[in-house]
Amino acid sequence: MSEPAEHTAVRRRPYDGSRTQQRRFRSPAVPRDPRVCLWAVGTVLLLALPFYLDRFWLQAGLFAMAAAIGAIGINLLTGATGQLSMGHAFFLAVGAYGYCAFAGDGGDGLLGLGLPTWLAVPAAVATAGAAGGLFSPIAGRLRGAYLGIATLALIFIGQHVLFNAEDLTGGFNGRDVPPLSVFGLTFDDAEVTVAAVPFGAAEKLWYAGLVLLLCCGLFARGVLRDRPGRALNAIRDHRIAAGVMGVPVARYRAAVFVLSSMYAGLAGVLLALVFQRTVPDYFGMALSLEYLAMIVIGGLGSVSGAVLGAALVALLPQLLTRYSEALPLVSDPGTGGIAPGEASRYLYGAAVVAVVLFLPGGLASLTARRSSSTPGEDR
Amino acid sequence: MNHSTRPGRGRTRATATALAVLLALTAAAGCSSKAADGKDGKQGAGGVKTGDGVTDKTIALGALTDLTGVYATLGKSVTQAQRLYVKQVNAEGGICGRTLKLTVRDHGYDPQKAVAAYTELEPDVLGYVQFIGSPFVASLRQRIDRRDKALVVPQAWSAELLGSPYIRVVGSTYDIETINAIDFLMKEHGLKKGDKLGHVYFEGDYGENALAGSRHMANKSGLELVEQKIKPTDNDMTAQVAALKKAGVEAVVLSAGPRQAASLVGVAAARRLSVPVIGNNSAFSPQLLGTQAGPALEKAYYVASPALPIGDDSEGPSALASAYAKAYPKDTLDNGVVAGWTAASTYGEALKRACKAKDLTREGVSKALRTMDDFDAGFGKQDFTDPEAPSSGQSVILRPDKKAKGGSKAVRGPEESAAARAYEREPR
Amino acid sequence: MTTFIELLLGGVSLGSVYALIALGFVVIFRATEVVNFAHASLLLAGGYVTAVLSDDIGFWPALLTGIASGALVGAAIEFLVLRRYRGSDHSVLAIVTIGVDILLVTDLTRRIGTDVLAVRDPWGDQLLTIGSVSLAQTRVAALLVAGLLITAFLLAFRYTSWGVAMRAAAENAGTAALMGIRLGRVSLGAWAVAGGLAAVAALFLTVFPTPGLERATSLAALKAFPAAILGGLDSTTGALAGGLIVGVTESLATGYQSDLTFLGRGLGDLAPYLVMIAILLVRPAGLLGTKETARV
Repeated sequence: MSEPAEHTAVRRRPYDGSRTQQRRFRSPAVPRDPRVCLWAVGTVLLLALPFYLDRFWLQAGLFAMAAAIGAIGINLLTGATGQLSMGHAFFLAVGAYGYCAFAGDGGDGLLGLGLPTWLAVPAAVATAGAAGGLFSPIAGRLRGAYLGIATLALIFIGQHVLFNAEDLTGGFNGRDVPPLSVFGLTFDDAEVTVAAVPFGAAEKLWYAGLVLLLCCGLFARGVLRDRPGRALNAIRDHRIAAGVMGVPVARYRAAVFVLSSMYAGLAGVLLALVFQRTVPDYFGMALSLEYLAMIVIGGLGSVSGAVLGAALVALLPQLLTRYSEALPLVSDPGTGGIAPGEASRYLYGAAVVAVVLFLPGGLASLTARRSSSTPGEDR
Repeated sequence: MNHSTRPGRGRTRATATALAVLLALTAAAGCSSKAADGKDGKQGAGGVKTGDGVTDKTIALGALTDLTGVYATLGKSVTQAQRLYVKQVNAEGGICGRTLKLTVRDHGYDPQKAVAAYTELEPDVLGYVQFIGSPFVASLRQRIDRRDKALVVPQAWSAELLGSPYIRVVGSTYDIETINAIDFLMKEHGLKKGDKLGHVYFEGDYGENALAGSRHMANKSGLELVEQKIKPTDNDMTAQVAALKKAGVEAVVLSAGPRQAASLVGVAAARRLSVPVIGNNSAFSPQLLGTQAGPALEKAYYVASPALPIGDDSEGPSALASAYAKAYPKDTLDNGVVAGWTAASTYGEALKRACKAKDLTREGVSKALRTMDDFDAGFGKQDFTDPEAPSSGQSVILRPDKKAKGGSKAVRGPEESAAARAYEREPR
Repeated sequence: MTTFIELLLGGVSLGSVYALIALGFVVIFRATEVVNFAHASLLLAGGYVTAVLSDDIGFWPALLTGIASGALVGAAIEFLVLRRYRGSDHSVLAIVTIGVDILLVTDLTRRIGTDVLAVRDPWGDQLLTIGSVSLAQTRVAALLVAGLLITAFLLAFRYTSWGVAMRAAAENAGTAALMGIRLGRVSLGAWAVAGGLAAVAALFLTVFPTPGLERATSLAALKAFPAAILGGLDSTTGALAGGLIVGVTESLATGYQSDLTFLGRGLGDLAPYLVMIAILLVRPAGLLGTKETARV
């Protein structure tokens, strides 16, 4: 999960050319960059984890990966372009239900187009993007708080449709998610034994999740580092000046809204595959708020920030619940005292406030500071 | 991956190292604790076959509850009642020579946390005595039926959950309960053919399953149904009452939460809409009697419940009430306590029977449950032989009563109406 | 017809409560340009104090204490949190208020637990009946109180030095500071006022026809967001108009839901947002909001 993180960390600001230059001159003199080693170890660890971790941890990791993909998306929109969106959960729902509708065969009485599942994934992502595009007349006109609250409407519309369009969504009970199948490999619970370890859905999806996250991270980094990224930052920092300088503001804003919706759609698909069933309750406002918390905690406007924040916010409640017996202050549920669920909400609420106060760049700025100082120590 | 600033040699070396380590790790994975080791079907102490969650000393059970979300009131009572049951059983020496160990996880009615908590406990427990939130149970159904096969007792009475040998609802489902409730209105309150009947229901499994019941009953008995769908966050029933009054309803069925009940009954009384209102078992909590709607509730409100109320004079309820009040003196006695206790005792009985059959595996326990055709934990008879049907078709009709323990007393004992017996669910 | 008038009146009275919440929201936005997503927690804090104390010290003292504590919580948020961030990006500040909201709501819901805290108010479940139309007295009180408070604020904005300071700060913070207006005091005052207003709104949301204060009461703030936006975020009269529109829409959509089944049932929550979107499409700054004219 963290390889794109450590990587982008150093050159978080694409226009910060001086540091890049400096490093380029120095690097041949450093025979073994600790970052490469770190990165290699990280990769190996991530690849090997399904052989050791039990399903609970793999599932938690998958939730974190899906969250990271979604968070990268919202970070493009809110972090890099400064457009507050509270409707991210809606686009996750479009992705999740879109996948079910495209891939379903209609056997459960619900709308299903019966596409091959590998085709249903991009179709669902495209649908999420189209939904973002449909909203662009509003997204293009509104700014700041207005946009934030207008996107809140998406959550309410989404919930209403999910509960009421029963032929499409299955209503309150949700619908089954057809397992993904690529090149004859099906990501379901049928066990395949690899090196004496039984591989179920979680183990197989783990690798799919890693690949998706890596692609998403690299793509977003490309966007952010290159011309579009600079344009987006310019829109965030001074919309009018950006327009004067020749940035097609309206087009960029609409495009980034669509792109961020597509990221959310993909996150939704991955989540649906992990859950194996989509239920409407999940795609509520709390989910949107979590995504905002992720990017603030991780660091606004960077891919590594989104990934770090997502990992923290997604894993924290799981960690606290799992080890609730061993933690002070947190009590076993049902015995009075602070329940683990509450403790994690306290923690991440406080984290949002504290990070902006003490660490304006988010967690990503920590790793950036550290890794840019390590080469110095080598000398 | 972007190594444009790096000389190629370093990258190749790193990749090679990574691959080598990966290969080594993969080879070593054979020794990983995850490597398949048929742990099911071991012979344990006393010649009993055991599997997941059962050792020679303990039987581990899980409870997936909601203590911080929308169903916190129910979750708290159910969980505490189950903790009490486990404590009592262990004090008497446990089951099958083993002590019970209950692990509780609070999901706060969040699907992600619920699925995570289920997955976390799954390898370590025999089954789940409690699972609040029927959408979550439904979402795990495939996994439970095909893979895990652990016995789960959901604390949700939706007919959607029927039909699995491993997910077993204790008590009558909401549709049947609603049919019995309307039957009560027709027999005792003069509701008759051609009358209009209001139904205010929650969006979601609970309300919509109840709606299936009232639609059926309206069809069979020639009632005209006036439907009002609400959300769990709606607390002010003024607009609903105005709509019901406009339609001219003769009685109202309420499939919502306690707060909606208080608001609806209070507003109806104030607006002189003097018709009987009957709620499902989740639409009442004794705390309401302390609010301003209290007197109106005592006057015009009824509750249909799958079990005898905690304040009943018979032996089961009074024993539980005094034990619970002793263990949790500060907490309210409500019918969630009954639900938790009944579920736990049903589970306990299944474990005892499984022990007798020398098979304490997951499969053994659900098989044992299917032999229980006449089980009574003190609150009404249950028949678990058919996974397609709820364990009971009976409902008790309660009436709020400030003076009674738990805030309600029975006005009509456990009874299965003829309409409920004849009711056939639409195929799922 | 009676039903329509009753629904309309019910909507107007509910809308006036929403308007109180939206007014606080607008006051904060005008003074500091921060979108306060922590408004839900202000609502819950004031309401909680009122409800808990009303049994012990009587209704009126409890209400006053509730308003005071709402104001205090608002001021504390400003002083302890937002003041430290002055100069940050406004959308970051909005997210900070989300963090504050999560903290406070978690704490308050933990305290409230599974209880329904009834408020011992003097109106009870009495109705005011004129002809064939009747309205709960609590709602009449809500309408009157909200009307009074909102008028008072409109006058205060226009004529008191505090109002002038606040308008100046909203117009141009830099110039206002140079003119000797203490921005810190203005924003502290705005937050305190918003907290107090939220506490009053919370009272009317927890008396008859609702059974009392419970953990979900704070969700009413979600109705105030569209109210504030569709009226125009920087307009106090807009907050009033927006609140009324949201209240009436919600009430009518619920009351006539059986005639609107083609849109799906349970439309009451959604309708205000649909109206908001429709208005924003035509007027991106809300009904009465000032259109942004940027100086380059």
